[in-house]
Amino acid sequence: MSFYEEKISQLKKSHYSNDKQIESVIGIKNYIDNNYDTDLNLDFLSYTRFISKYHLLRLFKRYYGLTPRQYLIDKRIEKSKTHLKEQMSVTETCFAVGFQSLGSFSSLFKSRTGQSPSQYQKEQFSRSTSHS
Amino acid sequence: MKITVISIPVRDQEKALHFYTEKLGFIKKKDMPLDGDNRWITLVSKDAQDGPELLLEPAPLHFEPCKVFQDSLMAAGIPWTQFDVDSVDAEYERLTKIGVEFSIKPSIFSTVKYAVFNDTCGNYIQIVENL
Repeated sequence: MSFYEEKISQLKKSHYSNDKQIESVIGIKNYIDNNYDTDLNLDFLSYTRFISKYHLLRLFKRYYGLTPRQYLIDKRIEKSKTHLKEQMSVTETCFAVGFQSLGSFSSLFKSRTGQSPSQYQKEQFSRSTSHS
Repeated sequence: MKITVISIPVRDQEKALHFYTEKLGFIKKKDMPLDGDNRWITLVSKDAQDGPELLLEPAPLHFEPCKVFQDSLMAAGIPWTQFDVDSVDAEYERLTKIGVEFSIKPSIFSTVKYAVFNDTCGNYIQIVENL
């Protein structure tokens, strides 16, 4: 066994040995992956996993390094990029990935990517036409 | 400030270019001549071609401490870096078939599945899938 494998197995024992907890957070993450386009919130997530909202938040952050809300936003932004590349309109994209308001979608998109959704779409379009 | 380039030390740039494009599936973005036989070669992921570039750096050939560090990581089985994949099992299957050697077969650690292979250029590389 290499030094690396030894370290990994030590770390597993000391910090990541609670399989039930791990299974629980993976379940929550999969739930977000499959339902990011709906009106998700923590209350509903904790209800589906039978754990308290604050416990859920702590667990998710501990195992994924970010809060469920941050994870959800990242997921929605990532999916919206795909839609925009496929020439879906900005408004349609916004609702297709689960945002409730165009304003919050546009400002979140801009803060994450440095461009507004329509600028992003234009750039992707010119890129794809110049390549073909 | 913006992260655009991350580097990986390689013993043979040409060999690395073949391995990273033909076997791993990255795409060559830049290739410029530098002094001697050295080149500035960067690669991008197929589905993130405007994302960060991976620089294939010939440092171990010209800077002894880099070679020492790279060899020590190799001896300890420590990956130089890691790449995200959709499915570790599928990549393991695909890469094994084309002769890539794995030091760690697909395994689970906390909320990730991972595996480690030899890039034949002096490094171990870890692939990771978020479960």
